[in-house]
Amino acid sequence: MTGLARHRGAARPALVIDLDICVGCHACSVACKGASAGAPLADGVWPNQVFGYEIDAGDGGAGEGGRTVYVPRMCQHCEHPDCVTVCPTGASFQRAADGIVLIDAASCIGCRLCAWACPYGAREYDEAAGVMRKCTLCTERRDAVGAQTLPVCVSTCPSGARHFGDLGDPASAVSELVRRRGGFALLAEAGYGPAVRYLPPRPRAPVAPVTAAPDIAAVGGVERWLHHALAR
Amino acid sequence: MAWLGLPCGPEDLLLEPDGAPLRLDKAFSWEAPLAIHGMMQMVIANAVAGDPYPIDTLFLFMANMAWNSAMNTAGTMDMLTARDPASGEHCIPHIIDADAFASEMVAYADLVLPDTTYLERWDCISVLDRPISDADGVADAIRQPIVLPDRDVRPFQDVLLDLGARLGLPGMVTPEGAARYPGGYAEYLANHERAPGIGPLAGFRGADGTAIGRGAANPRQLAAYVANGCFWRHELAPGQRFYRFANAGYLEFAVRMGFVPDAAPIVLQIYSEPLQRFRLAAEGHGPVQPPHELRARVLAAFDPLPVWRPPLGDASAGAASFPLHALTQRPMIMYHSWGAQNAWLRQILGRNDLYMAGATARAHGLADGDWAWLVGARRRIKLRIRTMEGVQADTVWTWNAVGKRAGAWGLAADAPEVRQGFLLNHLIGEHLPAVGGGRRFANADPVTGQAAWFDQRARLERCAPGESGPTEPQFPSLDGLRHVTTGPVAPARTRP
Repeated sequence: MTGLARHRGAARPALVIDLDICVGCHACSVACKGASAGAPLADGVWPNQVFGYEIDAGDGGAGEGGRTVYVPRMCQHCEHPDCVTVCPTGASFQRAADGIVLIDAASCIGCRLCAWACPYGAREYDEAAGVMRKCTLCTERRDAVGAQTLPVCVSTCPSGARHFGDLGDPASAVSELVRRRGGFALLAEAGYGPAVRYLPPRPRAPVAPVTAAPDIAAVGGVERWLHHALAR
Repeated sequence: MAWLGLPCGPEDLLLEPDGAPLRLDKAFSWEAPLAIHGMMQMVIANAVAGDPYPIDTLFLFMANMAWNSAMNTAGTMDMLTARDPASGEHCIPHIIDADAFASEMVAYADLVLPDTTYLERWDCISVLDRPISDADGVADAIRQPIVLPDRDVRPFQDVLLDLGARLGLPGMVTPEGAARYPGGYAEYLANHERAPGIGPLAGFRGADGTAIGRGAANPRQLAAYVANGCFWRHELAPGQRFYRFANAGYLEFAVRMGFVPDAAPIVLQIYSEPLQRFRLAAEGHGPVQPPHELRARVLAAFDPLPVWRPPLGDASAGAASFPLHALTQRPMIMYHSWGAQNAWLRQILGRNDLYMAGATARAHGLADGDWAWLVGARRRIKLRIRTMEGVQADTVWTWNAVGKRAGAWGLAADAPEVRQGFLLNHLIGEHLPAVGGGRRFANADPVTGQAAWFDQRARLERCAPGESGPTEPQFPSLDGLRHVTTGPVAPARTRP
């Protein structure tokens, strides 16, 4: 019902999220609430959410292979966003210059068709305002302050797990990061062309089994024990 | 020998002439010689026991000792209101508490000093205390007030400087007896020197604001920080960045900055000479020796080689009947907001559960979401369990400080923090079980005095049929106890 831009610019501003070092602290979610995408967000509206998953390494998740991975999830700013094409009023739109998907609150009627269409659960209905809300990549702030400004979820991340840059530029730092770390898209097979890239958790080195404290006399004195301990 | 509060041998301890602890918390005594962080966890118990001595006034800043900052929370609450049976007076006669929030501790205070939030005052993240430095550069930072307080509060640092001046404390008054820093903490930050030319902030020093580390006080220093985005950073030269313990270029820089007293290489001692000095004292050498009854303890604890020993509490009788290790840790979610009552954080984490491996739950006949009792040697607590893998089978854990007391923090009496949150602290004793002669040592590391938060042992028991929430123990609401009088603050007076 709403058309996509015919001519797209080459820019592809996007988040790149490192699942290896995200600690699940939700600072991104809280900062997002604070920045609130230009207007206060009603209770229960969370454009950025962090989900925790337990990895099952074949032993039911227990043991050395088991680990918890946190996956922050927000609007993926898709190349082919059904949330835009289902919109009956044109409120949902994709910016021609950079492909960022935004909502014009003035023409949104809160029908929630876009929430049904989005495969990523990224759209939230704001009961107070009667309109849909979602991640804007802090576009309103960045347009006002300057393109070098980072989205608040990126600048606030205490572990540096979130990056932001132009994935349309193959020479950009984020493009290089995605290449080097094997970055992947969520649900790529669904064909929406999500812009966000996730860097997979690095494999863990096997953990040495815990042994009892060494009996220094038994291993031949301090010198040999030190040699053994430092050689590990 | 000692510098920057680091004792290097028995002669650096803080002792009475008879060897008794000088400090109330017994830090730097023979019970915890290297307690460089202090032993805050022992202050209330020691004061109430009069060991090493009773006190007249307990003065706390942002330490929630009636709740999540205390070991043995229920016992600590009793101590705060305990009376001396002989005199009928409170064992701790006066309690003063400075806090920005209506915490559990505030309800126990005779006098409350309402603090500002971080947004309403000057603050300093100094190179002297957990700075923002990184591997390649030295950095520090400030906070500046960005909103004016809209209620009757004062920045706690201003209050301390005011109190210090009224009491005439050294460094807080001029030779004439007037307040040394009438402009409050902002004036102190720019002008205080702990050594000649070295102050809380390392950047923009000297008359022209270009000196770093060491330089005269600069009255425009805070303005320079504000103009620079509220931080200062000095990048190390490439040659200063590696092997710093033996890098002459770095060490000479560190001396100029006041980090270390001299540029001699810093030898990492695998065989620790300071530890051995304490052990030699316990063996009867030197002028400062531990009291007879502590010698065996010091001798065992001060091994100069890196060793590992099981937690001291595990040696007590009955430890085998508590097969689980129970841990409590501060939620990462709370680290970016010290006021845990950020409305958005409450929506993310408004209650806490006890997490354990699925196999551990099944072994106790429990399933995800069941209610259970966690039993320690002294008390038991009721809670909800959740299963999560990736936890060692003999370990259970929970988030600290999510649970709140009814009536505190402005929460509704039926808030999830109150009805479904809990503290593990009730199980954790501040003392180890008594040893021969009835003597009780702190539940802490015998070398550093580090509180043994993570040594707790416990056992899990299913709730009886029909038993479920709320969590236990629950305490009477603080709403009914609050009796607050406010009044104007008397102006600071100068000494006659």
